[in-house]
Amino acid sequence: MEVNFRKIDIDAFDEEVLRESDLYEEDPRGPAQALDEAKQKQTAVRSSLARNDIVGALSLVLDNPPYGPHVEEAKNISLQTLLTILNTTKSTEITNVVKSLSPDAQDTLMKYLYKGMGMPGWGDISGSVLLGWHEKLTEVAGTGCIVRTMTDRRTV
Amino acid sequence: MAPEVYHIAQTPIIAHAFNADRSALAVSLNSNEAQILARSGKEWATIETLSEHDKVITSIDWAPNSNRIVTASQDRNAYVWQQTPDDTGKVIWKPTLVLLRINRAATHVRWSPNEDKFAVASGARAIAICSFDPENNWWVSKLLKKPIRSTVLSVDWHPNNVLLAAGSADSQARVFSAYIKEVDSKPAATVWGSKLPFNTICSEYRSPAGGWVHGVAFSPSGDLLAFTSHDSSLNIVYPGSNVVHNVRMPSLPLVSLVWTTEDTIIAAGHDCQPFVFNGTEGGWQEAGTLDDQSGGASGGPARRGGLAARSGAFAAFQAADSRGLGGSSGSSGSGDTKLTTVHQNTITDVRIYDGAPGQVARVSTSGVDGSLAIWDVNAVSAITGRLGGMSMR
Repeated sequence: MEVNFRKIDIDAFDEEVLRESDLYEEDPRGPAQALDEAKQKQTAVRSSLARNDIVGALSLVLDNPPYGPHVEEAKNISLQTLLTILNTTKSTEITNVVKSLSPDAQDTLMKYLYKGMGMPGWGDISGSVLLGWHEKLTEVAGTGCIVRTMTDRRTV
Repeated sequence: MAPEVYHIAQTPIIAHAFNADRSALAVSLNSNEAQILARSGKEWATIETLSEHDKVITSIDWAPNSNRIVTASQDRNAYVWQQTPDDTGKVIWKPTLVLLRINRAATHVRWSPNEDKFAVASGARAIAICSFDPENNWWVSKLLKKPIRSTVLSVDWHPNNVLLAAGSADSQARVFSAYIKEVDSKPAATVWGSKLPFNTICSEYRSPAGGWVHGVAFSPSGDLLAFTSHDSSLNIVYPGSNVVHNVRMPSLPLVSLVWTTEDTIIAAGHDCQPFVFNGTEGGWQEAGTLDDQSGGASGGPARRGGLAARSGAFAAFQAADSRGLGGSSGSSGSGDTKLTTVHQNTITDVRIYDGAPGQVARVSTSGVDGSLAIWDVNAVSAITGRLGGMSMR
Protein backbone atom coordinates (compact mmCIF):
# COMPACT_ATOMS: atom_id res chain seq x y z
CA MET A 1 0.00 0.00 0.00
CA GLU A 2 1.18 3.49 -0.74
CA VAL A 3 2.12 5.11 2.59
CA ASN A 4 4.16 8.06 1.44
CA PHE A 5 1.19 10.33 1.94
CA ARG A 6 1.76 9.95 5.66
CA LYS A 7 4.94 11.97 5.36
CA ILE A 8 3.24 14.95 3.75
CA ASP A 9 3.38 18.02 5.96
CA ILE A 10 -0.31 18.81 5.85
CA ASP A 11 0.20 22.02 7.82
CA ALA A 12 1.99 23.45 4.81
CA PHE A 13 -1.29 23.27 2.90
CA ASP A 14 -3.37 24.74 5.70
CA GLU A 15 -3.90 28.43 5.15
CA GLU A 16 -5.07 28.85 8.72
CA VAL A 17 -2.07 27.23 10.40
CA LEU A 18 -0.80 29.10 13.45
CA ARG A 19 2.80 30.18 12.96
CA GLU A 20 5.33 31.13 15.62
CA SER A 21 5.43 34.61 14.12
CA ASP A 22 1.73 35.03 14.93
CA LEU A 23 2.46 34.61 18.60
CA TYR A 24 5.40 36.93 19.17
CA GLU A 25 7.59 39.41 17.40
CA GLU A 26 11.02 38.08 16.55
CA ASP A 27 14.17 39.64 17.94
CA PRO A 28 14.63 42.76 15.79
CA ARG A 29 18.39 42.29 15.88
CA GLY A 30 19.82 39.88 13.35
CA PRO A 31 22.13 37.03 14.44
CA ALA A 32 25.30 39.07 13.79
CA GLN A 33 24.20 42.13 15.72
CA ALA A 34 22.87 40.07 18.62
CA LEU A 35 26.17 38.18 18.81
CA ASP A 36 28.10 41.44 18.76
CA GLU A 37 26.04 42.88 21.59
CA ALA A 38 26.33 39.71 23.64
CA LYS A 39 30.13 39.85 23.34
CA GLN A 40 30.24 43.49 24.31
CA LYS A 41 28.10 42.75 27.34
CA GLN A 42 30.41 39.91 28.30
CA THR A 43 33.34 42.34 28.48
CA ALA A 44 31.31 44.96 30.33
CA VAL A 45 30.12 42.34 32.81
CA ARG A 46 33.71 41.25 33.50
CA SER A 47 34.71 44.78 34.43
CA SER A 48 31.59 45.20 36.59
CA LEU A 49 32.43 41.99 38.40
CA ALA A 50 36.00 43.19 38.90
CA ARG A 51 34.51 46.19 40.72
CA ASN A 52 32.31 43.74 42.65
CA ASP A 53 29.17 45.40 41.21
CA ILE A 54 26.92 42.35 40.95
CA VAL A 55 23.63 44.21 40.50
CA GLY A 56 25.16 46.29 37.71
CA ALA A 57 26.55 43.20 36.01
CA LEU A 58 23.24 41.34 36.23
CA SER A 59 21.22 44.30 34.99
CA LEU A 60 23.56 44.56 32.01
CA VAL A 61 23.15 40.98 30.90
CA LEU A 62 19.41 40.85 31.67
CA ASP A 63 18.61 44.02 29.76
CA ASN A 64 17.27 43.33 26.28
CA PRO A 65 18.60 39.76 26.00
CA PRO A 66 18.72 37.96 22.64
CA TYR A 67 15.60 35.81 22.18
CA GLY A 68 13.77 33.68 19.63
CA PRO A 69 15.17 31.55 16.83
CA HIS A 70 18.31 32.26 14.72
CA VAL A 71 20.34 33.83 17.55
CA GLU A 72 21.59 30.64 19.24
CA GLU A 73 25.20 31.80 19.42
CA ALA A 74 24.33 35.07 21.12
CA LYS A 75 22.03 33.20 23.51
CA ASN A 76 24.82 30.84 24.52
CA ILE A 77 27.25 33.68 25.21
CA SER A 78 24.61 35.49 27.27
CA LEU A 79 23.94 32.36 29.31
CA GLN A 80 27.69 31.87 29.82
CA THR A 81 28.05 35.48 30.96
CA LEU A 82 25.13 35.14 33.34
CA LEU A 83 26.48 31.92 34.82
CA THR A 84 29.78 33.66 35.68
CA ILE A 85 27.80 36.17 37.72
CA LEU A 86 25.59 33.60 39.39
CA ASN A 87 28.51 31.34 40.30
CA THR A 88 30.61 34.14 41.83
CA THR A 89 27.85 35.66 43.99
CA LYS A 90 27.89 34.70 47.66
CA SER A 91 24.68 32.96 48.63
CA THR A 92 24.07 35.44 51.46
CA GLU A 93 24.00 38.33 48.98
CA ILE A 94 21.51 36.81 46.56
CA THR A 95 18.31 38.13 48.17
CA ASN A 96 19.48 41.74 48.17
CA VAL A 97 20.76 41.48 44.62
CA VAL A 98 17.44 40.06 43.40
CA LYS A 99 15.47 42.75 45.23
CA SER A 100 17.36 45.55 43.49
CA LEU A 101 16.60 44.20 40.00
CA SER A 102 13.77 45.68 37.92
CA PRO A 103 10.66 43.49 37.45
CA ASP A 104 11.66 42.95 33.81
CA ALA A 105 15.12 41.81 34.86
CA GLN A 106 13.63 39.47 37.47
CA ASP A 107 11.44 37.82 34.84
CA THR A 108 14.40 37.45 32.48
CA LEU A 109 16.58 36.04 35.23
CA MET A 110 13.92 33.39 35.88
CA LYS A 111 13.97 32.47 32.19
CA TYR A 112 17.74 31.94 32.32
CA LEU A 113 17.47 29.88 35.51
CA TYR A 114 15.01 27.52 33.84
CA LYS A 115 17.10 27.40 30.68
CA GLY A 116 20.12 26.52 32.79
CA MET A 117 18.26 23.82 34.66
CA GLY A 118 17.24 22.34 31.31
CA MET A 119 20.88 21.94 30.23
CA PRO A 120 22.63 20.00 32.99
CA GLY A 121 26.35 19.63 32.45
CA TRP A 122 26.58 22.45 29.92
CA GLY A 123 29.41 24.94 30.57
CA ASP A 124 29.68 25.99 34.21
CA ILE A 125 26.15 25.05 35.14
CA SER A 126 25.81 24.07 38.75
CA GLY A 127 22.41 22.77 39.77
CA SER A 128 22.74 23.81 43.39
CA VAL A 129 23.67 27.39 42.48
CA LEU A 130 20.70 27.67 40.11
CA LEU A 131 18.34 26.24 42.71
CA GLY A 132 19.66 28.67 45.31
CA TRP A 133 18.93 31.62 43.03
CA HIS A 134 15.57 30.14 42.07
CA GLU A 135 14.49 29.91 45.70
CA LYS A 136 15.50 33.48 46.50
CA LEU A 137 14.01 34.87 43.29
CA THR A 138 10.68 33.12 43.91
CA GLU A 139 10.56 34.60 47.42
CA VAL A 140 10.93 38.08 45.98
CA ALA A 141 9.04 37.92 42.67
CA GLY A 142 6.45 35.27 43.52
CA THR A 143 5.06 32.39 41.52
CA GLY A 144 3.80 34.91 38.94
CA CYS A 145 7.40 35.26 37.80
CA ILE A 146 7.57 31.50 37.13
CA VAL A 147 4.25 31.61 35.24
CA ARG A 148 5.58 34.41 33.02
CA THR A 149 8.67 32.34 32.25
CA MET A 150 6.49 29.43 31.19
CA THR A 151 4.10 31.45 29.02
CA ASP A 152 6.60 33.71 27.30
CA ARG A 153 7.54 32.41 23.86
CA ARG A 154 10.43 34.83 23.58
CA THR A 155 12.79 32.21 24.95
CA VAL A 156 16.28 33.31 25.90
CA MET B 1 -18.38 42.31 55.81
CA ALA B 2 -17.92 38.62 55.32
CA PRO B 3 -18.96 37.27 51.94
CA GLU B 4 -22.09 35.17 51.49
CA VAL B 5 -20.90 31.70 50.55
CA TYR B 6 -23.02 28.94 49.04
CA HIS B 7 -21.83 25.43 48.37
CA ILE B 8 -23.71 24.64 45.21
CA ALA B 9 -22.17 21.36 44.11
CA GLN B 10 -19.34 18.87 44.49
CA THR B 11 -18.40 19.51 40.87
CA PRO B 12 -16.78 22.60 39.35
CA ILE B 13 -19.01 25.54 38.46
CA ILE B 14 -17.89 26.45 34.96
CA ALA B 15 -20.08 29.53 34.63
CA HIS B 16 -22.89 31.26 36.47
CA ALA B 17 -25.47 33.96 35.71
CA PHE B 18 -28.17 35.56 37.86
CA ASN B 19 -31.56 36.79 36.68
CA ALA B 20 -32.52 40.46 36.95
CA ASP B 21 -33.81 40.45 40.55
CA ARG B 22 -31.19 37.88 41.71
CA SER B 23 -33.88 35.43 42.82
CA ALA B 24 -32.71 32.77 40.40
CA LEU B 25 -29.35 31.55 39.23
CA ALA B 26 -28.24 29.53 36.20
CA VAL B 27 -25.09 27.42 36.51
CA SER B 28 -23.12 24.96 34.43
CA LEU B 29 -21.82 22.23 36.72
CA ASN B 30 -19.26 20.95 34.23
CA SER B 31 -21.94 18.97 32.41
CA ASN B 32 -24.15 19.20 29.34
CA GLU B 33 -27.09 20.44 31.38
CA ALA B 34 -27.62 23.88 32.84
CA GLN B 35 -29.31 24.07 36.23
CA ILE B 36 -31.71 26.83 37.21
CA LEU B 37 -31.52 27.34 40.95
CA ALA B 38 -33.81 29.33 43.20
CA ARG B 39 -33.15 30.64 46.69
CA SER B 40 -34.77 28.47 49.32
CA GLY B 41 -33.90 29.79 52.75
CA LYS B 42 -30.16 29.97 53.05
CA GLU B 43 -29.42 27.61 50.19
CA TRP B 44 -30.00 27.37 46.47
CA ALA B 45 -32.12 24.50 45.12
CA THR B 46 -32.50 23.28 41.55
CA ILE B 47 -35.93 24.11 40.15
CA GLU B 48 -35.34 23.30 36.51
CA THR B 49 -32.76 21.64 34.28
CA LEU B 50 -32.05 22.89 30.78
CA SER B 51 -31.05 19.87 28.72
CA GLU B 52 -30.49 20.19 25.01
CA HIS B 53 -26.70 20.33 24.69
CA ASP B 54 -24.63 17.19 24.07
CA LYS B 55 -21.39 18.36 25.66
CA VAL B 56 -20.20 20.54 28.54
CA ILE B 57 -21.78 23.98 28.73
CA THR B 58 -18.94 26.48 28.76
CA SER B 59 -20.76 29.74 29.35
CA ILE B 60 -24.16 31.13 30.36
CA ASP B 61 -25.63 34.60 30.21
CA TRP B 62 -29.03 35.78 31.46
CA ALA B 63 -30.51 38.89 29.83
CA PRO B 64 -31.99 40.99 32.66
CA ASN B 65 -34.74 42.81 30.74
CA SER B 66 -35.96 40.26 28.21
CA ASN B 67 -35.43 37.41 30.72
CA ARG B 68 -33.78 35.12 28.17
CA ILE B 69 -30.91 32.77 28.88
CA VAL B 70 -28.25 31.92 26.33
CA THR B 71 -25.97 28.90 26.76
CA ALA B 72 -22.86 27.98 24.78
CA SER B 73 -21.31 24.54 24.73
CA GLN B 74 -18.42 22.41 23.55
CA ASP B 75 -20.91 20.72 21.22
CA ARG B 76 -20.49 23.79 18.90
CA ASN B 77 -24.03 24.96 19.58
CA ALA B 78 -25.73 27.72 21.46
CA TYR B 79 -29.37 27.88 22.55
CA VAL B 80 -31.54 30.77 23.61
CA TRP B 81 -33.99 29.77 26.36
CA GLN B 82 -37.24 31.56 26.90
CA GLN B 83 -40.05 30.95 29.40
CA THR B 84 -43.07 29.69 27.44
CA PRO B 85 -46.21 27.81 28.48
CA ASP B 86 -46.20 24.18 27.27
CA ASP B 87 -49.28 22.16 26.14
CA THR B 88 -50.56 21.79 29.67
CA GLY B 89 -50.14 25.48 30.41
CA LYS B 90 -47.13 24.98 32.65
CA VAL B 91 -44.38 27.55 32.10
CA ILE B 92 -41.12 25.94 31.03
CA TRP B 93 -37.80 27.14 29.59
CA LYS B 94 -37.98 26.44 25.86
CA PRO B 95 -34.84 26.40 23.68
CA THR B 96 -34.47 28.14 20.33
CA LEU B 97 -31.78 27.02 17.93
CA VAL B 98 -28.86 29.28 17.04
CA LEU B 99 -27.15 28.74 13.68
CA LEU B 100 -23.57 29.27 14.82
CA ARG B 101 -21.71 27.81 11.82
CA ILE B 102 -18.56 27.04 13.82
CA ASN B 103 -16.65 23.76 13.74
CA ARG B 104 -15.06 23.94 17.18
CA ALA B 105 -16.33 24.38 20.74
CA ALA B 106 -18.13 27.54 21.75
CA THR B 107 -16.21 29.00 24.69
CA HIS B 108 -17.96 32.13 25.91
CA VAL B 109 -21.24 33.96 25.36
CA ARG B 110 -22.55 37.39 26.29
CA TRP B 111 -25.77 39.31 25.51
CA SER B 112 -25.32 42.79 24.07
CA PRO B 113 -26.50 45.66 26.32
CA ASN B 114 -29.72 46.09 24.30
CA GLU B 115 -30.28 42.30 24.41
CA ASP B 116 -31.07 42.20 20.68
CA LYS B 117 -27.94 40.21 19.80
CA PHE B 118 -25.23 38.17 21.48
CA ALA B 119 -21.65 37.19 20.81
CA VAL B 120 -20.35 33.61 20.96
CA ALA B 121 -16.58 33.11 21.20
CA SER B 122 -15.23 29.85 19.86
CA GLY B 123 -12.28 27.59 19.23
CA ALA B 124 -12.85 27.97 15.49
CA ARG B 125 -10.83 31.22 15.72
CA ALA B 126 -14.04 33.12 15.17
CA ILE B 127 -16.70 35.01 17.07
CA ALA B 128 -20.32 34.53 16.03
CA ILE B 129 -22.50 37.64 16.35
CA CYS B 130 -26.07 36.37 16.53
CA SER B 131 -29.30 38.22 15.90
CA PHE B 132 -32.89 36.99 15.70
CA ASP B 133 -34.50 36.16 12.37
CA PRO B 134 -38.28 36.30 13.01
CA GLU B 135 -39.17 34.78 9.61
CA ASN B 136 -37.58 31.45 10.46
CA ASN B 137 -37.85 31.72 14.23
CA TRP B 138 -34.17 31.11 14.85
CA TRP B 139 -31.01 33.05 15.58
CA VAL B 140 -28.64 33.65 12.68
CA SER B 141 -24.98 34.53 13.01
CA LYS B 142 -22.34 36.56 11.25
CA LEU B 143 -18.75 35.56 11.93
CA LEU B 144 -15.93 37.84 13.01
CA LYS B 145 -12.86 35.98 11.75
CA LYS B 146 -9.96 38.15 10.74
CA PRO B 147 -7.35 38.50 12.15
CA ILE B 148 -8.00 36.02 14.97
CA ARG B 149 -5.23 33.41 15.04
CA SER B 150 -6.41 31.09 17.78
CA THR B 151 -9.25 30.19 20.15
CA VAL B 152 -11.23 33.14 21.47
CA LEU B 153 -11.57 32.76 25.23
CA SER B 154 -13.76 35.70 26.22
CA VAL B 155 -15.88 38.54 24.87
CA ASP B 156 -17.33 41.72 26.35
CA TRP B 157 -19.72 44.29 24.88
CA HIS B 158 -19.19 48.04 24.77
CA PRO B 159 -22.17 49.97 26.22
CA ASN B 160 -22.99 51.28 22.70
CA ASN B 161 -24.17 47.78 21.64
CA VAL B 162 -21.83 47.78 18.61
CA LEU B 163 -18.23 47.38 19.74
CA LEU B 164 -17.02 44.05 21.08
CA ALA B 165 -13.80 43.22 22.93
CA ALA B 166 -12.35 39.73 22.56
CA GLY B 167 -9.47 37.98 24.29
CA SER B 168 -7.76 35.18 22.45
CA ALA B 169 -5.22 32.39 22.97
CA ASP B 170 -3.01 34.04 20.34
CA SER B 171 -2.15 36.35 23.27
CA GLN B 172 -3.99 39.34 21.85
CA ALA B 173 -6.96 41.37 23.02
CA ARG B 174 -8.88 43.05 20.23
CA VAL B 175 -11.72 45.51 19.80
CA PHE B 176 -14.04 44.74 16.88
CA SER B 177 -17.09 46.31 15.40
CA ALA B 178 -20.04 43.91 15.61
CA TYR B 179 -22.40 46.23 13.79
CA ILE B 180 -25.45 44.43 12.37
CA LYS B 181 -27.42 46.45 9.85
CA GLU B 182 -30.78 44.87 10.71
CA VAL B 183 -30.45 45.54 14.43
CA ASP B 184 -28.28 48.56 15.09
CA SER B 185 -28.76 52.20 14.31
CA LYS B 186 -25.64 54.02 13.23
CA PRO B 187 -23.38 54.34 16.31
CA ALA B 188 -21.93 57.65 17.44
CA ALA B 189 -18.16 58.04 17.25
CA THR B 190 -16.22 56.74 20.27
CA VAL B 191 -12.59 56.76 21.31
CA TRP B 192 -12.31 53.46 19.45
CA GLY B 193 -13.26 54.91 16.06
CA SER B 194 -16.03 56.55 14.08
CA LYS B 195 -16.68 54.50 10.92
CA LEU B 196 -17.60 51.05 12.10
CA PRO B 197 -18.78 48.55 9.46
CA PHE B 198 -18.93 44.89 10.59
CA ASN B 199 -15.54 43.33 11.37
CA THR B 200 -13.66 46.64 11.63
CA ILE B 201 -10.63 46.02 13.84
CA CYS B 202 -10.47 49.05 16.08
CA SER B 203 -7.36 48.02 17.98
CA GLU B 204 -5.16 45.08 18.96
CA TYR B 205 -3.10 44.66 22.12
CA ARG B 206 -0.60 41.92 22.86
CA SER B 207 -0.11 40.68 26.40
CA PRO B 208 3.40 41.69 27.47
CA ALA B 209 4.85 38.26 28.20
CA GLY B 210 2.80 36.44 25.60
CA GLY B 211 0.18 34.83 27.83
CA TRP B 212 -3.24 33.79 26.48
CA VAL B 213 -5.79 36.48 27.14
CA HIS B 214 -8.28 34.95 29.60
CA GLY B 215 -10.66 37.81 30.28
CA VAL B 216 -11.56 41.14 28.72
CA ALA B 217 -13.81 43.94 29.94
CA PHE B 218 -14.73 47.45 28.87
CA SER B 219 -14.87 50.06 31.62
CA PRO B 220 -18.40 51.30 32.52
CA SER B 221 -18.05 54.27 30.15
CA GLY B 222 -16.64 52.02 27.42
CA ASP B 223 -13.63 54.31 27.02
CA LEU B 224 -11.11 51.95 28.60
CA LEU B 225 -10.36 48.27 28.15
CA ALA B 226 -8.84 45.85 30.63
CA PHE B 227 -7.65 42.31 30.02
CA THR B 228 -6.06 39.59 32.13
CA SER B 229 -3.60 37.17 30.65
CA HIS B 230 -1.87 33.93 31.55
CA ASP B 231 1.41 35.73 32.20
CA SER B 232 -0.09 36.69 35.60
CA SER B 233 -0.80 40.23 34.63
CA LEU B 234 -3.63 42.70 34.30
CA ASN B 235 -3.45 45.23 31.48
CA ILE B 236 -5.43 48.45 31.24
CA VAL B 237 -5.66 50.26 27.90
CA TYR B 238 -6.17 54.00 27.43
CA PRO B 239 -6.96 54.18 23.71
CA GLY B 240 -6.95 58.00 23.59
CA SER B 241 -3.28 58.27 24.45
CA ASN B 242 -2.46 54.68 23.44
CA VAL B 243 -1.06 53.96 26.90
CA VAL B 244 -1.21 50.38 28.21
CA HIS B 245 -0.63 49.88 31.92
CA ASN B 246 0.66 46.46 32.91
CA VAL B 247 0.22 45.27 36.50
CA ARG B 248 2.42 42.25 37.11
CA MET B 249 1.14 39.88 39.77
CA PRO B 250 3.46 37.95 42.07
CA SER B 251 0.75 35.27 42.21
CA LEU B 252 -0.99 32.95 39.75
CA PRO B 253 -2.90 34.16 36.65
CA LEU B 254 -6.28 35.89 36.76
CA VAL B 255 -9.01 34.49 34.50
CA SER B 256 -12.05 36.71 34.92
CA LEU B 257 -12.59 40.38 35.70
CA VAL B 258 -15.22 43.10 36.16
CA TRP B 259 -15.01 46.87 36.48
CA THR B 260 -16.79 48.10 39.60
CA THR B 261 -16.19 51.81 38.97
CA GLU B 262 -14.37 53.71 36.23
CA ASP B 263 -11.13 53.37 38.21
CA THR B 264 -11.53 50.04 40.02
CA ILE B 265 -11.32 46.47 38.73
CA ILE B 266 -11.96 43.19 40.53
CA ALA B 267 -10.26 40.16 39.02
CA ALA B 268 -9.88 36.58 40.15
CA GLY B 269 -8.52 33.29 38.93
CA HIS B 270 -6.03 30.60 39.81
CA ASP B 271 -5.09 32.26 43.10
CA CYS B 272 -8.59 31.50 44.46
CA GLN B 273 -9.36 35.01 45.71
CA PRO B 274 -10.75 38.20 44.16
CA PHE B 275 -8.09 40.91 43.89
CA VAL B 276 -8.90 44.61 43.73
CA PHE B 277 -6.99 46.97 41.47
CA ASN B 278 -7.30 50.72 41.14
CA GLY B 279 -5.65 53.49 39.23
CA THR B 280 -5.89 56.30 36.75
CA GLU B 281 -4.19 57.15 33.49
CA GLY B 282 -1.09 57.88 35.56
CA GLY B 283 -0.75 54.29 36.74
CA TRP B 284 -2.47 51.22 38.16
CA GLN B 285 -1.72 49.03 41.15
CA GLU B 286 -3.03 46.18 43.23
CA ALA B 287 -5.12 47.61 46.09
CA GLY B 288 -5.82 44.44 48.04
CA THR B 289 -8.08 41.43 48.17
CA LEU B 290 -11.75 40.93 49.05
CA ASP B 291 -10.84 37.72 50.87
CA ASP B 292 -9.51 38.46 54.34
CA GLN B 293 -8.58 34.75 54.61
CA SER B 294 -10.38 34.15 57.87
CA GLY B 295 -13.13 32.08 56.29
CA GLY B 296 -11.16 29.07 55.11
CA ALA B 297 -9.24 26.63 57.28
CA SER B 298 -9.80 26.98 60.99
CA GLY B 299 -6.57 26.22 62.74
CA GLY B 300 -3.85 23.77 61.83
CA PRO B 301 -0.66 24.49 59.95
CA ALA B 302 -2.54 26.13 57.09
CA ARG B 303 -3.27 29.13 59.27
CA ARG B 304 0.34 30.19 59.67
CA GLY B 305 0.96 33.25 57.45
CA GLY B 306 3.02 32.59 54.46
CA LEU B 307 1.86 32.07 50.95
CA ALA B 308 -1.74 32.17 51.93
CA ALA B 309 -3.53 30.35 49.18
CA ARG B 310 -1.06 27.53 48.86
CA SER B 311 0.28 27.26 52.37
CA GLY B 312 -2.14 24.47 53.25
CA ALA B 313 -0.77 22.06 50.69
CA PHE B 314 2.70 23.46 51.24
CA ALA B 315 2.51 22.88 54.98
CA ALA B 316 1.26 19.35 54.39
CA PHE B 317 4.26 18.53 52.22
CA GLN B 318 6.61 20.28 54.62
CA ALA B 319 5.25 18.24 57.51
CA ALA B 320 5.65 15.08 55.46
CA ASP B 321 9.21 16.09 54.65
CA SER B 322 10.50 17.27 58.02
CA ARG B 323 8.55 15.11 60.45
CA GLY B 324 7.57 12.17 58.32
CA LEU B 325 3.88 12.90 58.70
CA GLY B 326 2.21 11.38 55.69
CA GLY B 327 -1.15 12.49 54.40
CA SER B 328 -2.15 8.95 53.45
CA SER B 329 -1.42 7.49 56.87
CA GLY B 330 -4.26 9.53 58.25
CA SER B 331 -2.12 11.29 60.85
CA SER B 332 -2.87 14.66 59.29
CA GLY B 333 -6.57 15.33 58.92
CA SER B 334 -8.35 16.69 55.90
CA GLY B 335 -8.16 20.19 57.42
CA ASP B 336 -4.47 20.30 56.62
CA THR B 337 -5.06 20.74 52.94
CA LYS B 338 -7.72 23.40 53.30
CA LEU B 339 -6.83 26.80 51.88
CA THR B 340 -7.27 29.93 53.93
CA THR B 341 -9.31 31.50 51.14
CA VAL B 342 -13.10 31.23 50.78
CA HIS B 343 -12.83 29.50 47.42
CA GLN B 344 -10.91 26.27 47.71
CA ASN B 345 -9.92 26.17 44.05
CA THR B 346 -9.64 28.34 40.94
CA ILE B 347 -12.31 31.01 40.49
CA THR B 348 -13.84 30.56 37.05
CA ASP B 349 -16.20 33.50 36.74
CA VAL B 350 -16.57 36.95 38.33
CA ARG B 351 -19.82 38.83 37.67
CA ILE B 352 -21.61 41.96 38.80
CA TYR B 353 -24.21 41.10 41.44
CA ASP B 354 -25.50 44.39 42.74
CA GLY B 355 -25.36 47.98 41.49
CA ALA B 356 -25.50 49.91 38.24
CA PRO B 357 -22.51 49.89 35.89
CA GLY B 358 -19.90 52.20 37.37
CA GLN B 359 -21.31 51.94 40.91
CA VAL B 360 -21.13 48.23 41.58
CA ALA B 361 -21.68 47.35 45.23
CA ARG B 362 -21.35 43.56 45.17
CA VAL B 363 -19.86 40.94 42.85
CA SER B 364 -20.36 37.19 42.68
CA THR B 365 -17.71 34.55 42.02
CA SER B 366 -18.00 30.87 41.19
CA GLY B 367 -15.22 28.34 41.39
CA VAL B 368 -13.89 24.91 40.56
CA ASP B 369 -14.60 24.04 44.20
CA GLY B 370 -18.34 24.13 43.42
CA SER B 371 -19.07 27.15 45.58
CA LEU B 372 -20.49 30.54 44.84
CA ALA B 373 -19.64 33.64 46.87
CA ILE B 374 -21.09 37.15 46.93
CA TRP B 375 -18.65 39.87 47.98
CA ASP B 376 -19.02 43.45 49.14
CA VAL B 377 -16.63 45.36 46.86
CA ASN B 378 -15.74 47.85 49.59
CA ALA B 379 -14.49 45.21 52.02
CA VAL B 380 -10.92 45.37 50.75
CA SER B 381 -8.20 43.99 52.98
CA ALA B 382 -4.48 44.21 52.48
CA ILE B 383 -2.61 41.27 51.06
CA THR B 384 -0.47 39.89 53.84
CA GLY B 385 2.68 37.87 53.76
CA ARG B 386 2.31 36.88 50.15
CA LEU B 387 5.28 38.54 48.52
CA GLY B 388 7.95 37.09 50.73
CA GLY B 389 5.81 34.25 51.89
CA MET B 390 7.20 31.20 50.22
CA SER B 391 10.08 30.79 52.61
CA MET B 392 11.09 27.38 53.86
CA ARG B 393 10.94 28.15 57.58
